[in-house]
Amino acid sequence: MSEVREIIRVFIVENFLFGNEDGLGDETSFLDEGIIDSTGILELVNFCEEEFSITVEDDELVPENLDSINNVVAYLQRKAA
Amino acid sequence: MGRFTYQTLTNHFLEDSAKSFPDKVALIHEDVRATYGQINAKANQLARSLINQGVTKGDRVALILENCLEYVISYYGVTKAGGVVAPLNTDLKPDGLRPLLGELTPKVVISSSRFERILKATDLSTFKVQALLLRDPKLKWSFALFPVLPLDDLISDEESSNLGIQIEESALASIIYTSGSTGKPKGVMLSHCNIVSNTHSICQYLYLTEKDIQMVVLPFFYVMGKSLLNTHFAVGGAIVINNKFAFPATVIKQMADEEVTGFSGVPSTYAYLLHRSPLVDYRGKLDSLRYCSQAGGHMSRRIKEELQRSLPEHTEIFIMYGATEASARLTYVEPGRFEDKMDSIGKPIPGVTLRVLDEKGQEVFIGQTGEFVAAGSNIMQGYWKQPKATRSVLDQDGYHTGDLGFQDREGYFYVTGRKDNLVKVGGHRINPQEIEDVFMATGLVLEAVVLGIPDELLGQRLVAVVVPRGEECSEKEILNRCAQRLPKHKLPGKVKLVRALPKSTSGKIERNMCFELIKLQSSTIPGS
Repeated sequence: MSEVREIIRVFIVENFLFGNEDGLGDETSFLDEGIIDSTGILELVNFCEEEFSITVEDDELVPENLDSINNVVAYLQRKAA
Repeated sequence: MGRFTYQTLTNHFLEDSAKSFPDKVALIHEDVRATYGQINAKANQLARSLINQGVTKGDRVALILENCLEYVISYYGVTKAGGVVAPLNTDLKPDGLRPLLGELTPKVVISSSRFERILKATDLSTFKVQALLLRDPKLKWSFALFPVLPLDDLISDEESSNLGIQIEESALASIIYTSGSTGKPKGVMLSHCNIVSNTHSICQYLYLTEKDIQMVVLPFFYVMGKSLLNTHFAVGGAIVINNKFAFPATVIKQMADEEVTGFSGVPSTYAYLLHRSPLVDYRGKLDSLRYCSQAGGHMSRRIKEELQRSLPEHTEIFIMYGATEASARLTYVEPGRFEDKMDSIGKPIPGVTLRVLDEKGQEVFIGQTGEFVAAGSNIMQGYWKQPKATRSVLDQDGYHTGDLGFQDREGYFYVTGRKDNLVKVGGHRINPQEIEDVFMATGLVLEAVVLGIPDELLGQRLVAVVVPRGEECSEKEILNRCAQRLPKHKLPGKVKLVRALPKSTSGKIERNMCFELIKLQSSTIPGS
């Protein structure tokens, strides 16, 4: 899963932090830290759906699944199980 | 409506409700549940602290804060001290903040740890700021040339009674910067009278009472968010703050759990809600949801119809129209006419007159297009330190909205476009909104913006930037569908598919940034 973590991190850094990953920890909340807004979450969802061939259901759009690198990785693990 | 008699200043909304309902919960945010009595006491304490920091009548106090209890305390606390609240967009970076702070010269800035890095990079000392009050500060500020004080320390004094400072109704209460999606941001000056009169009108047509509970997902720095706060505090209702609209499932669940009676959004709020939320699954659980309201720009017929189908049958829809310059609201469509007046923005709210004028300032006939010009006690005092910009929109007729449209025989108004958005292709003057509606009506796209870009031959040519609903949908398919409804000269020559349209924090589409998107793609994709 370390590869998945890196893929997610690179996507966030390149698309929302303009290459500067200062302050982005694995537990950092994307919303609370102002890294991603609602448009950004949709972009993250689209990315996950394409990259990992999954479908993110509407009721899965919750912070517990998508609001930090750790949460996204854990969510993808659950989806793959 | 009797209690409104005693409300002549913005801070009276809070003071009046604290007197009538001291123990009633006024604000819910995550684990916080604050009563009117508690909020009023803290706002009074803050007002005293601000006065101790040197704030006097007319001094500006800038708020750079996310929606939270401290925002509400600060908003009312500043006006209690006689100051002018200037809430700034929380998305601004140092380059965007500097010109606004230079123009405002605020005596005090109130912010939170989330913005500490940005504030440090902005260098507040260059703007003669005398104090920075921070909610939950995390960084070291030992080298700051002004005091940096934890907000919590300033709202814990023993003295918490109302201050009773004499403030004129005509005094400035707030300066709200327009989103600046077209051109330089302008600080809209609103007096207490502007805000109070508009707040009371809104309470009246929405039939708001102390039983109302509003879900707030729009930022308070945006005029519509501000009016959600003021209207509910004016009637002694409650607000539920949820800053996680990016995760709509959590918002919908909380609406059911807290028995919310009202939800408000801009078009993109509803587009997102309908596209990516379990709204339909919750239809049976939203028993308390009395109404949904929409303002902040034109919402396509398709989204309105879909919204009506998705909401519980008892939930009414209020379509509304306004401007920051009008303290928020100018017109609304009563829910009973939602279906047969679906494309309308309704009739003026109490206290507002709206006329359609031609370029010479003459009122046009029914059905003829002209500019909407509004008058009423809610119309702003002007733009802060921008007299030229003020003169261009305010005159003896009232406020020139820049919106074009017409009125029907029953007195309902219809917006057909923006004066400054008209695109001239060859000899045709084209209204992008009409074309955007056609794109939306195809059912293939989630959002659409149509822009005019320079063209040597035609003057301008049309380009559409759209977010497709499904991955398999192609540019050609969308254009083919539009070609069935549009004459050739209105059909964009190019369609750019994007994952999302750039938006402001309040959810409005940033047309300027859409231009950048086209430029960027044109320069990186050979032959495009």
